[in-house]
Amino acid sequence: MQFVLSLLSLLLWLYIVPILAGILFNFILPRDKRTVGITFILGFLVSMAVFEIVSIGAMTMVTFSAFTYCRRIYIAVMLLLDVLGVLRCVQLFKRGDNRFQCLFPGEVHASARDFMNPRADTAMFRPDYPVSSLVMWGLFFAVIVFQMVMSVVMASFDGDDAYYVVQSLQAQQVDVMNTINPYLGISTSLDIRHALAVITMWIAFIARVSGIHATIVNHVVMPIFLIPLVYLVYVEIGRILFRKRQALIPMFMLIISFLMMFGNVSIYTPATFFLMRTWQGKAMVANLVFPMIFWIFLWMMENAAALRERLKSPASLFTRREEWCGFVMLALVNMFSGMCSSMGVIFGSGLIALLTLVLLFISRNLRVLAGTFLCIIPNIIYLGVYFSIFSS
Amino acid sequence: MFGIFMECWVSLKLYFGNPLHGILLLLSAIYLAIAEKDLKKRIILGFLPLVVMAGFLFPVTKIVYVAVFDEGSDTYYRLLWLIPSYVVTGYALVKLIVTLENLMKKTFVLWICLAASLILIAAGGSLVYCNRYMSVAENAYHIPQNVIDICDIISPQKGSRVRAAFPSELVHFVRQYDTDIMMPYGREMIATQWDYYNPVYEVMEKPDEIKASDLTAALRESGCDYVILSSDRLIDEDITSYGYEIVGSVDKYNIYQDTTVDKEG
Repeated sequence: MQFVLSLLSLLLWLYIVPILAGILFNFILPRDKRTVGITFILGFLVSMAVFEIVSIGAMTMVTFSAFTYCRRIYIAVMLLLDVLGVLRCVQLFKRGDNRFQCLFPGEVHASARDFMNPRADTAMFRPDYPVSSLVMWGLFFAVIVFQMVMSVVMASFDGDDAYYVVQSLQAQQVDVMNTINPYLGISTSLDIRHALAVITMWIAFIARVSGIHATIVNHVVMPIFLIPLVYLVYVEIGRILFRKRQALIPMFMLIISFLMMFGNVSIYTPATFFLMRTWQGKAMVANLVFPMIFWIFLWMMENAAALRERLKSPASLFTRREEWCGFVMLALVNMFSGMCSSMGVIFGSGLIALLTLVLLFISRNLRVLAGTFLCIIPNIIYLGVYFSIFSS
Repeated sequence: MFGIFMECWVSLKLYFGNPLHGILLLLSAIYLAIAEKDLKKRIILGFLPLVVMAGFLFPVTKIVYVAVFDEGSDTYYRLLWLIPSYVVTGYALVKLIVTLENLMKKTFVLWICLAASLILIAAGGSLVYCNRYMSVAENAYHIPQNVIDICDIISPQKGSRVRAAFPSELVHFVRQYDTDIMMPYGREMIATQWDYYNPVYEVMEKPDEIKASDLTAALRESGCDYVILSSDRLIDEDITSYGYEIVGSVDKYNIYQDTTVDKEG
């Protein structure tokens, strides 16, 4: 019975809560981007942003039972968002003739009318895959399932677990947030170098609400959750790269999955981190945050030509959804990167600066800089908190 | 400057290890920089990786990086994470396969080229599950079963805590299982990059032969209730003659409890 309750709890907090938050906010996305996958990514990023604010607040302001405060406030906020998400579902269902696609209009396949319409871009619809592509999808999913099974069956040794995994376990068992030395078990001051990377606390939260030991959540549950999520981001990258020939996406994904599985050419590669230290913040930075940043920039560059036209009129940058939603997503990714690792904030900012130059070159409008500056504000606040605690 | 450049070059070589994946990435980036017609893809997947790699090898980048970050020399390789290497290689291979298929005008060419690409990736890479740090999981925690068995024996009653000294090879796992067990030293003494001093570690792990009198004195000074010793560890005297008793054995490890410690306390 406990096992079933734990499974249901994992299902709730890892999938249902983020997707409902995503549905609540997916109005910010252009219609063709309102797919199940992108809505889930959006909801996941929103829930991570809420957790980051709540947990850093609890950690820095509450002395005793900080994790309990963090947990309760997070549950309250997310349940509120999810209730609103359910209300939006009901509203959309009523408006959309009770069809699934009213929630996720990006999942619509092009109809005969769309093909006849000279103004419709059929490449933006979901494709109908030929048999060869379906076979490749099948092979790709087999590889993913294999990787997930291996993440359960095989154990990897990494010394950093003695720090990160124990921080999660201490939050679950002792109700503290980074104030006990994980190596020794003695009380200590807040270790600011790692404390703001609260991904360990989120894992502790999942462990606490599911009643599963935090070490099992780290080593077993997280890979099962994160491996498909990482590939989902790569699918979205592939969707943009192969916009005109979407039948090639499964071939691209099959190659990516092999590069990951056979990418253990050294202990430093993202692939090694992905499949051996999946649950650690730096692994998420390398395999989730950086690909997400690339995906969002590819997405913004895809619209660059249209963007260039629209930007000619003043005040258009932040009035067109297609233009600003990329920056909103980027701001959420920045918050998530800080949650994973303080290194993620600095490297992520550098990557964004680099890609902004490219976007600037393609869109040829200086106002792109305004969007980038706004989306980097979470990183500036993060570093401000970091250095204020560091110097106090 | 040349010396720093060589350091960067060595870091690059270490990063790519078996160089085939690195070469594949480099060739892919060059191929896309030349052959890709879409400007944004050409820049992002062609030129950008080459620029980041060149920047990585540029000595000034390393000088600045090491000046900014505490552990700059150890983590410099992470700059290479900024290259979307799997996307670059994957996209270039798909583009090449499709180009070949279009040239030959045969569908089976696509399958043969895909199979060849996957074989090339597998043969030139290294399967993560064959890594020497990977092993079949002994339990759901993914930590050695003997650590769990030892912890179950010494685990205190709810609400209290104990301190136990473990051999170096076990310290990483103990507190991943039970945070009620404290330790006089942990992973910070094992990691080679740190050079800390710990009195228990000094007498328990450093000498070839443990001196029982020194060990028991250090353990009591640190407030340890238990000590776990491997049966193949050399020790000049049996520590049971110093007020310790064996409360259990797991595999080759004997668990000693200090009988002079107030068990209720």
